[in-house]
Amino acid sequence: MEIKKVGVIGAGTMGRGISELLAAKGLDVLLLDKSQDKLSEGIRLLDASLEKQIERWALTHQEKKLIFSKITPVTDEQLLIECDMIIEAISEQLEAKRLLLQHLENFIKPETILASNTATLSLTELAEAMAYKERVIGLHFLFPAGQVKLVEIVRGLKTSDQTFQVTKQFVEQTLDKTSIQVYESPGYVTTRIICILINEALHTLTEGVATAADIDEAIRIGYGFHYGPLEMADRFGLDSVLASMDALFSELGDLKYRPNVLLKKMVRAQHLGLKTGRGFFSYSEGGERL
Amino acid sequence: MKILVINSGSSSLKFQLYEMTTEKLLIKGRIERIGSETAIITVERDGQEDVRFTQEILHHSEAVRSMLKFLTHTDLGVLDNILEIKAVGHRIVHGGEWFRSATLINADVQQKIRHLYDLAPLHNPAHMVGIQAVLEHLPHVPQVAVFDTAFHQSIPQKAYLYPIPLSLYKKYGVRRYGFHGTSHEFVSRRAAQLLGKPMEQLKIVTCHLGNGASCTAVSGGQSIDTSMGMTPLEGLMMGTRSGDIDSAIIPYILSKEDLTINEVNSMLNKHSGLLGISGISGDVREVQQAASEGDARALLALDMYEYRIRKYIGAYSAAMNGIDALVFTGGVGENSTFLRYKICEQLTYLGLHLDSEKNNEPSHIERLISTESSSVNILVIPTNEELLIAQKTFSLLEED
Repeated sequence: MEIKKVGVIGAGTMGRGISELLAAKGLDVLLLDKSQDKLSEGIRLLDASLEKQIERWALTHQEKKLIFSKITPVTDEQLLIECDMIIEAISEQLEAKRLLLQHLENFIKPETILASNTATLSLTELAEAMAYKERVIGLHFLFPAGQVKLVEIVRGLKTSDQTFQVTKQFVEQTLDKTSIQVYESPGYVTTRIICILINEALHTLTEGVATAADIDEAIRIGYGFHYGPLEMADRFGLDSVLASMDALFSELGDLKYRPNVLLKKMVRAQHLGLKTGRGFFSYSEGGERL
Repeated sequence: MKILVINSGSSSLKFQLYEMTTEKLLIKGRIERIGSETAIITVERDGQEDVRFTQEILHHSEAVRSMLKFLTHTDLGVLDNILEIKAVGHRIVHGGEWFRSATLINADVQQKIRHLYDLAPLHNPAHMVGIQAVLEHLPHVPQVAVFDTAFHQSIPQKAYLYPIPLSLYKKYGVRRYGFHGTSHEFVSRRAAQLLGKPMEQLKIVTCHLGNGASCTAVSGGQSIDTSMGMTPLEGLMMGTRSGDIDSAIIPYILSKEDLTINEVNSMLNKHSGLLGISGISGDVREVQQAASEGDARALLALDMYEYRIRKYIGAYSAAMNGIDALVFTGGVGENSTFLRYKICEQLTYLGLHLDSEKNNEPSHIERLISTESSSVNILVIPTNEELLIAQKTFSLLEED
């Protein structure tokens, strides 16, 4: 089975990044969001991100045009019937994702692969009420999806070998990414480990051991990370980090996963990082740290 | 004997059909946007209006089927039966160190082309798709691979090795391979024929100046050095490629601009050259237009472009201890009278003199453009890689 047309649900940070990646690889993408406003905002931000990449010489104007020509923004979910694979990238809430997958099953092709970009939720639980559980799989892209070479492929208990093989081939050959196979466990490999690093950086900050900038410098330079843990959290979105920590804490129960109180405060204050321009650091709309 | 020449790209397929006894081009065409519902097929036939139409072509196999269908079309085609095609010659960008000449494609050759995906990730996989598609539709027709790198396999070790640890060559094949080989070979052969001298006695510098650009030193009919290296990025300044730069610039800007390897790669390949300096375009014609209107950056870009070509001609004259002929080819080399003039103006120390009148002739045919007293012949020769591929395919079959 060859995957040529992919539906991406959710025009948020991950949905946009995944759409851009797929389009750059020559695939036809239907980017779906429930409201026209959200979709328009998503497209505007995608345009800004591509312009930023042109400024950094990563793309040419021609390539940007090509990417846009491959992405069709839609609000009509019935159009997803044409897709060979659907990747959902809506907010990290079990019930919302479960209802969405269940709903999709009513009208999409029986062979369409349903992938969830969840970072922490159980695939088996997501697929629980579905008729064809074997076609549900987890595809955890890391932020920014276009640049990070790794994708975690998550198998639920009922995911079929065929679904896994087609998805693995798609990730490695079509998308030219390295994949790792992970079994169901909250946070898989990447989110579980990076959340602990971010949380520990927050403890270090709240205990007054060093400033945010110095903590980030230490880890970035000392251990060869591209971003320090606090800037990384800003770029993921502090609300997403909090949601992941909450999920890890509730699933695994270990105190080490309990989110630092400063993270909660910042989310309540809507200091969500890059997406609101303010988190541990400040950012321009183009994503540059100020 | 009719021979089909194919150049298969990732989403395109170009083809030409030759009658080899006369070397007459019967038909040529291209299929673009393969993989879409609106692929474009364009076909040109001698003396007739071009035919252009769109249809759904989702993969190369369908593209080959459409091409064969067109070739045998009752009104528009040129063949009564596809069995008239006696062989297919493929342009293959990278033949590594395995292939020094055109080669009949068998399972072993296919395996080797696959092995070279690492060195030509954009081209060789697309060529293989073309080979497979032809195999599917014309299973009994011999297929021949003609490699862009083959002509440069005669380059001696002192010129193809880079002065870095030798282990990198042994482990990963890091060396100069050179590109545009079929074009350099075609025009150097034609130059000898036009001058009426045996190849063995000639020292020629060939300048293939197109969107990509390279210079080759051809001594006694063999490439002894060429400006493109392990990849087509090295050498001359090009439309959007930098050509030679100090390699220490890369880690320096990586850290200064906080770039990734992909970004710096894209910067050097797609945002540099004429485009990077002029800020206008990577197309010589557009930069020339801006320069004629007084744009300072366009003028600078052209100055640099010309200067770097001239340096290579000087270097290759030194490498061969003089030259007998200088050949211009490729879109820019064949059409830009201004650039040819600028390049030759400062090469008189070689005894080379351009005849301005001949240089300015608005002609597309091959010709001599040096003065009678010039001790170096300067020629403009339109390249024809497809014809050489057809010729090589034909002679390989004859040998068989």
